[in-house]
Amino acid sequence: MTAPLRYSLAILFVLVALLASLGLQEPFSNPSWFLFPTGVLAATWICGNGPGWVAVCLSTFAVQYFFVPPFRTWILQPRDIPFFISFVACEVVANRIVAWRVRTENALREARDALEVRVAERTADMENANKALREQMAEQRRTEETLQATRTELARVVRITAIGEMAASIAHEVNQPLAAVVANADACVAWLTRQTPDLGEAKSAALRAVEGATRASQVIARIRSLISKGAPQREPVDINSLIEEALVLAKGQVVLNKISLSLLLDPALPLVSGDRIQLQQVLMNLIANAIDAMANVTGRERTLEIRSQRVQAQSISVSVQDSGIGISEEFISRLFEPFFTTRAQGIGMGLAISHSIIEAHGGRLWAESKLNEGTIFRFTLPEKQASIDEKH
Amino acid sequence: MKSTDPIVLIVDDDAMVREGIQSLVRSIGLRVQTFASAAEFLSANIPDVPKCLVLDVRMPGQSGLDLHRQLMQANTEIPTVFISGHGDIPMTVRAMKQGAMEFLTKPVRGQDLLDAVQNAIERDRTLRKERAEIASLHKRFESLTARETEVLNLVVAGLLNKQIADQLGTSELTVKTHRAHVMEKTQADSLANLVRMFEKLKNYLHK
Repeated sequence: MTAPLRYSLAILFVLVALLASLGLQEPFSNPSWFLFPTGVLAATWICGNGPGWVAVCLSTFAVQYFFVPPFRTWILQPRDIPFFISFVACEVVANRIVAWRVRTENALREARDALEVRVAERTADMENANKALREQMAEQRRTEETLQATRTELARVVRITAIGEMAASIAHEVNQPLAAVVANADACVAWLTRQTPDLGEAKSAALRAVEGATRASQVIARIRSLISKGAPQREPVDINSLIEEALVLAKGQVVLNKISLSLLLDPALPLVSGDRIQLQQVLMNLIANAIDAMANVTGRERTLEIRSQRVQAQSISVSVQDSGIGISEEFISRLFEPFFTTRAQGIGMGLAISHSIIEAHGGRLWAESKLNEGTIFRFTLPEKQASIDEKH
Repeated sequence: MKSTDPIVLIVDDDAMVREGIQSLVRSIGLRVQTFASAAEFLSANIPDVPKCLVLDVRMPGQSGLDLHRQLMQANTEIPTVFISGHGDIPMTVRAMKQGAMEFLTKPVRGQDLLDAVQNAIERDRTLRKERAEIASLHKRFESLTARETEVLNLVVAGLLNKQIADQLGTSELTVKTHRAHVMEKTQADSLANLVRMFEKLKNYLHK
């Protein structure tokens, strides 16, 4: 409402009160001024503080002129003064109470409005935060998917590389005796086709060629036995020769990694009863692990020590010791768990399988390690029983 | 076999390969000496005759390439035939850059190896001859006095006796005498020959 409108409305309320009071004056002879406070009340309530005061003033003049005897004069007789003052006071009080009410209500409304605005703001803020969080989560999920894909790809590449390395190692092991075969066969031919053939030289060259070929086929047989899955057998096994055979296959890696090898085999080591292939698998695994553990060692010597010895009564022990990076204490207890690995390319099965093989043979496999000094893997196996001896 | 006959030195850690190559080389009448490792080779007494080295690349301890580099650095180069289990290209390139005569891959064909060995021995004969010539030249030029060396330097620079005498502040006759000594001590029968010998020695020492 505009200000002129509010003031006009206030005047109108007073006018209505005046006209109604004048109308009531005829049937009731008493001065009927009581409608005026109602007018003031309405004016203050609806039109505001300023118009309220205008209504108060106008009502006072109207009552004094029309309803204070002598009527329709501005004369105010002393006996009417208390009445007149109480009337004015009544009006002012009505005006003030209404004004106070209106102010309170306005304040309340404002407070409520402000509150609503703040609630709306907060709600919007929270929605934004929520949206951002959802986006972040989606982004994180995408990153994780990419990471997973990369990891899978890496594992694949590493696996292929490992297979390639193994193939290269096997190729070397087979190629070496083949080289001997070719050189000796060539020599044999040369001795025979000389102007004066030398049969003695030709024969020894031919024998060496045969020896080389035998060695090549042994390497192949060993590789085949390593990958075949024959049923576990119980036969007398010479652990020392098993160690030597495993080393023939690992020799390439030992040389390549510039590892110095020390072999402390007890010549009086008793036989054990077990599965050659499985036990060789354990040895190969321990040796391969030892070589791996030293791959990144620099600044100190890389040594691989393999020791076999008789311990206590009717038991043998084999240890494979490296000077590698070592294994921390928190890992060493989990070493033999399936799928536990500290290597990026490992699948974590080697030691788990080795452990179960040794236990199946009635022995024990364990590890001791010092960080940055190296690790010893040691296993025990029971000696072959005399009763079994007799059967063979 | 005479003690001046060429010798083939074989270094391979694999006994059977070593025996085979040795037998093959002996069958064509060459002397052979075998070694199981680089260390064994280095500590051995090698006769001073034309020779070649047959060297396995992959050996425990010092590798064949390491040994070859060591010999090159010590200026005791022996023409070398490398034998490798896997003749990968980078390794071959490295060996060739190091001055290997030949790089053969196992298993080696007998004839290839024998050809390579013969070529290497021929190369060593030439090398030895050159080294001997240089040594003799060196000895002859060393025997010159300081004054004679001064005269020599000016002679090979193309100066006339008179110019040399001016430069050294002496008489032409003295220069002539020094010059005669130079020709005599270096056994040069002409100025052209003297210049050739001088250049050869200079090039060698420069290298």
